[in-house]
Amino acid sequence: MKRLAPLLLLLPFLALMGLLLWAMGCALVQSLGYIPAFGLTELTLDYYQALFTDGTLTASLMLSLKVAFLSALSSTVLGTALCAALLALRRGRRGALLLVRLPILVPHTVTALFLIVLLSQSGLVARALYAGGLIDGQEDFPSLLFSSGGMGMLLAYLWKEIPFVAYFVAALMGSVRDTLGEAACNLGASPVRAFFHITLPLSLPAIGSAFLIIFAYAFGSYEVPLLLGSTLPKALPVQAYLEYTHPDLRHRPYAMAMNGFILLVSLLLALVYAWLLRRKLNAGRVVQ
Amino acid sequence: MSIRFPRVLTAAALSAALLAGCGSAAADPTPEQTLPTDFDSLVELARGTTVTFYGWGGDDARNQFLQTTVADTLKEKYDITLEVVGMDIDAILAKLSGEKGAGQTTGTIDMIWINGENFYSCKENGLLYGPFTQDLPNFNAYVDQEDTETLTDFCYPIEGYEAPYAKAQLVLIRDSAATPEAPTSTEELLEFVQKYPGKVTYPAPPDFTGSAFVRNVVYDICGWEQFQDMEADKETLRAAVAPAMEYLRELNPYLWNGGETFPASSTQLTNLFADGEVLLDISYSPYSPAVNIEKGIYPDTAQAFLWDNGTIGNTNYIAIAYNAPNKAGAMVVINELLSPELQAAQYEAQKVLPVLDEEKLSAEEQALFDAVDIGEGTLPQDALLERRLPEMPAALVPLLEEIWTEEVVGQ
Repeated sequence: MKRLAPLLLLLPFLALMGLLLWAMGCALVQSLGYIPAFGLTELTLDYYQALFTDGTLTASLMLSLKVAFLSALSSTVLGTALCAALLALRRGRRGALLLVRLPILVPHTVTALFLIVLLSQSGLVARALYAGGLIDGQEDFPSLLFSSGGMGMLLAYLWKEIPFVAYFVAALMGSVRDTLGEAACNLGASPVRAFFHITLPLSLPAIGSAFLIIFAYAFGSYEVPLLLGSTLPKALPVQAYLEYTHPDLRHRPYAMAMNGFILLVSLLLALVYAWLLRRKLNAGRVVQ
Repeated sequence: MSIRFPRVLTAAALSAALLAGCGSAAADPTPEQTLPTDFDSLVELARGTTVTFYGWGGDDARNQFLQTTVADTLKEKYDITLEVVGMDIDAILAKLSGEKGAGQTTGTIDMIWINGENFYSCKENGLLYGPFTQDLPNFNAYVDQEDTETLTDFCYPIEGYEAPYAKAQLVLIRDSAATPEAPTSTEELLEFVQKYPGKVTYPAPPDFTGSAFVRNVVYDICGWEQFQDMEADKETLRAAVAPAMEYLRELNPYLWNGGETFPASSTQLTNLFADGEVLLDISYSPYSPAVNIEKGIYPDTAQAFLWDNGTIGNTNYIAIAYNAPNKAGAMVVINELLSPELQAAQYEAQKVLPVLDEEKLSAEEQALFDAVDIGEGTLPQDALLERRLPEMPAALVPLLEEIWTEEVVGQ
């Protein structure tokens, strides 16, 4: 019985995992164009190929990659800077770290709606500028959201992920800074030099993980591009959902191929993440 | 509220129905009829029973109306208990096709709120009971039997398998305090956007309302008749709608965001309109101005208007499940929903168009409808019905949406 107990306790997890894997398997089979119920029985890679040849789909793919990369990169850089600034506070460091958690708790959907209220051409900022006589009408306010370049999405991710990075990196960076960083300072290094030569390099595994998490999230996220994206191109998940709900059921393999591609990218990111995690653990050991 | 089955539901429902169709080899198209055909016997059979009504549960006005006015009337007149079950159409159809696949002869669903593609796939796959409407006294007495919308649903023959119970129609809405003119044709709309650049837009298809608006533009420019029996071929359709796509491209530079981006949903358009960022709203619920003025979303000066050549309308129907446990009860309830009293009450409570033929109503029955105060900013019923155009065949709709995406956005 004692030997069985762990297995029994794992059962719910295994059941869930089984379900997940089964669903993923079904999706992948459908992405290869095999859905007998709709008269599709030939296995093919055509639907994946379409991702790279069909103009609309390629544009979707490129947009998603671009937005994911830019938001991950900018959030990581700015978030790390924010983290370093917070850790350098002489007083109220704990309070500041608690405050930084607030945006993390706000759902992405709420953030997107909040941006619309704030930054649309009839939003609060435009109204304030108009009241102050700085613009003559709503047309003069730049159309930041819904642009085909993905500016609206980028802003939403920045607002959400900069605090996330700061919070996520703070644990490792804080311990590095308070031990090895302090030591460097005691040995005569300037705080800036101690940061760039000691604290930052040793915190890189956490920073890299944060980058990957944000990239994977922004690449596969649906609600932010739905609310803030343009009509064309649409982000990959939004396009995938459209294909999934297309009244012509033979469009479903396209949706599944897009999901398959998102899955593939996420898997790769997960592998890199696992590798970084091991380095991070090692880095932690160095500190202790 | 008009019926708005999001496309995911349609697709899921279709697939469920298709799967079911495969499982049961397209089934028996005419389920055996053991019910009496005279209505009094049906009423006797139904007395003291419970009838379930499955349908989208997201409209408070509708839920409230069914659970109070309708439920009370049924209890009092027939001792029938109405059980309203809020469920999305995809879930309903998945449930139904699952029951069909499992060979269940007695299911759980009696009445279903349905239309369009969902009706098509259900009827094709033998998931509906019927024909039954010919046995409903109120259907025979009050509904125009020759009307297109009695005979077909999105151009697909109904053949007695569903009964109409409410109508919707596309309207445009402007704030009469903001713009003196109401553009009542595509030509006038072009002048309107040129006068107010950046202040007009429409939801991007496949949004339900945006898609209907594009169909309406196509009707206005290319006429509606040719589409009624057009085959579902994209290139045929592309050639037929070319002038309309050309027109929409001509609009683009004057639209909100220069026509590069369109609101993703009709809700977003309504928000833009409420904020004064655009000057026109579009709705498939003809009485939405009254509702929105009452809620304070629209200004009091909001006013619905139509196009001179008409706007598209569609109808909400009720069908009976092939394995409904209480078919007699369902028929009694549907008949009652078609009574002048409940149609007038529905008109008042839900702000949807009634389906009864005015010419078939007595003066007293007509007075029930005349007494309804439909609220501010709306058009009278006869004005709407006078300019009502039929929907396109369901199969053309997604093709037109694709053509719009390819030829209009950002062009």
